[in-house]
Amino acid sequence: MKKSLSIILSLMLVVALLAGCSGGTTSKSSIEKMTPGSNLSFKVGMVTDAGTIDDKSFNQGTWEGVVQAGLDFGLETKYLKPSGTTQAEYLTEIGNLYDAGYKFIVCPGFKFETTIFEAQTKYPDAKFVLIDGYPHTGDYNPVVGSNVVSIFFAENESGFYAGLAAALQLKTGEVGFIGGMEIPAVQKFNWGFQQGIKYANDTYDTTITMNAENFVYQGSFDNVAAGQQLAAGMFDKGVDAIFCAAGGVGVGAINEAKQRANNGEKVWIIGVDVDQYSEGIYDGTKSIILTSAMKKIDQASYDMILDETFNRFQGGQILTFDSTNGGVGIPVENPNLDKSVVTKVQDAFDKVVAGTIVVAAEQGNLFK
Amino acid sequence: MWDIIKLVFPYAIAYTIPLMITSLGGLFSERGGIVNIGLEGLMVSGFFASAVTIISLQAIIPDLSIWIGLLAGMIAGVLFSLLHAFASISLNANQVISGTAINMIAAALTVYLARTLTGSGNITIQSGLPRFDIPLLSKIPVIGPLLFANTYASTWLVLAILFISWVVLYKTSFGLRLRACGEHPYAAASAGINVYKMRYIAVMISGAFSGLGGAVILVTYSGEFNGSVAGLGFLALAALIFGQWKPFGVLGATFFFGTAVTIANISQVIPELGFIPPLVLKIFPYVITLLALIVFSKSSQAPKAEGESFDLGRN
Repeated sequence: MKKSLSIILSLMLVVALLAGCSGGTTSKSSIEKMTPGSNLSFKVGMVTDAGTIDDKSFNQGTWEGVVQAGLDFGLETKYLKPSGTTQAEYLTEIGNLYDAGYKFIVCPGFKFETTIFEAQTKYPDAKFVLIDGYPHTGDYNPVVGSNVVSIFFAENESGFYAGLAAALQLKTGEVGFIGGMEIPAVQKFNWGFQQGIKYANDTYDTTITMNAENFVYQGSFDNVAAGQQLAAGMFDKGVDAIFCAAGGVGVGAINEAKQRANNGEKVWIIGVDVDQYSEGIYDGTKSIILTSAMKKIDQASYDMILDETFNRFQGGQILTFDSTNGGVGIPVENPNLDKSVVTKVQDAFDKVVAGTIVVAAEQGNLFK
Repeated sequence: MWDIIKLVFPYAIAYTIPLMITSLGGLFSERGGIVNIGLEGLMVSGFFASAVTIISLQAIIPDLSIWIGLLAGMIAGVLFSLLHAFASISLNANQVISGTAINMIAAALTVYLARTLTGSGNITIQSGLPRFDIPLLSKIPVIGPLLFANTYASTWLVLAILFISWVVLYKTSFGLRLRACGEHPYAAASAGINVYKMRYIAVMISGAFSGLGGAVILVTYSGEFNGSVAGLGFLALAALIFGQWKPFGVLGATFFFGTAVTIANISQVIPELGFIPPLVLKIFPYVITLLALIVFSKSSQAPKAEGESFDLGRN
């Protein structure tokens, strides 16, 4: 009796372990492909942040870039998912990758900041790419080792274009914002978005209103129910479009918007990080995603690997992906936006690149 | 104030329903004498099975696919619960361990299968159940907009199940036998009841209900399978204790949880509630649960033979 139970239990555990090891598949990506240099002897590893490899956001974007580079340049790639989100757990997986010969390690997320600070001295012959953060001891004084590249995105510019596009398309109405955790990357999306709305109101005579109570941070990236309820509350109060920079919380908001669209209500969601159009489809090809504020994470990880093949890894640097190098923007295809709107957003994009429009990355007098 | 209540109520009910049906499933299992800590895993299995079913069928039969999905969720829950039943009833294994195994295996296996079948660990369905106002009833003053506006069909299904469960447990011989198996299995056995069979049925009902709970989450407020029901299964267990193993106690307890969580979530966009710190709202239901557990600890109505394995040869 007891023996067969223990056999069953061990079988269960084996299945669970196997499930944990499954590899993620990747979808089409928008990466600009390049010819590599001569250094093709390294292996690329990645450690995931909180969430799964197919989170349709941060981890997935990074991994798609890694996989694409692996395919294009013939490199071995591998990702490991830590059992938790503490520094010790992150370091363990970095150590595991290092020991297995993966000495080019990509880590997405600000939570890796202190981890990379440790790792950059512990593994001096490994190279690290840290996305959305810089190494520090916990005091926020950047100490970027010569084997680390830190990458930031100009989320404020991305949010600006999304806000501008939304305002031009809706012309009149009210907008809201649901953020995940109140961290710099999310805040910058929010602030940029508000500036985009204001710019449209000032320049193109749109009348979009914004109310401080409809600009909230849910406090997590995975509370789907809260996302649905927050969105429902906002829509009930008359908000027409919500910008969601909130991972799984946004999933709930998208679901709520789809439900309302099915009932004939005119509501919109503005997506984040990647082009979320397909996730908002509720009837045939109609989607409730007005547009998306993108940051091209996949391109960033791809480019860093490309650099390494030319032996020109930009160690010690903090890089910013913004409008000038095409790191942020709205999707190329926007079925829910008019041609004239896309033209005007492109116009603003050119002005940002030229420096005639400056999108602040600070709160200033904007809502939190 | 009335506006706030009217705003929050329908969403609170939507959040409560999956919790309630799962808790009710736990009630059947525990009333039959089997502790089912695997409710979370059973929910996840139903969550997953309904998602896969719905995305495969939605293009062909859009409306019917959701109901078939709910059924698939129940079936998956039953199949998964059989593992727990086999280990804890036939093999006399420790029920807590076996339930924990269910939780672990469901979380891992469903994500693995989702990736194998669809290429992604997240499965998004195109549309869930529509919300509607019930004609006439939603026009009743006060309770109309609270109870009958903005409802899902699944809500009424689950409430019907709750009522039927009460009848079955307290008004039928089956219910009496089931409860006897949870209180004094040996006495029940000596009266000629097949305790093994009754307990198998009890666990399978808990699987069906939990699976339905997971499926309801998918077709109402989430719209996407993501491999986790965020601890609702454990909350359902707490609600079961809070509700003192009684169907209408479970209704009250889960509704309390549902409302409290909804208020905590939605308060961020209601300035009138802004004077209460969000943190206080978020921990409120859990603090109340702890207090309730302390208060009820003396007069607990837990089934007496709960968690004890039954071995006919022992007596």
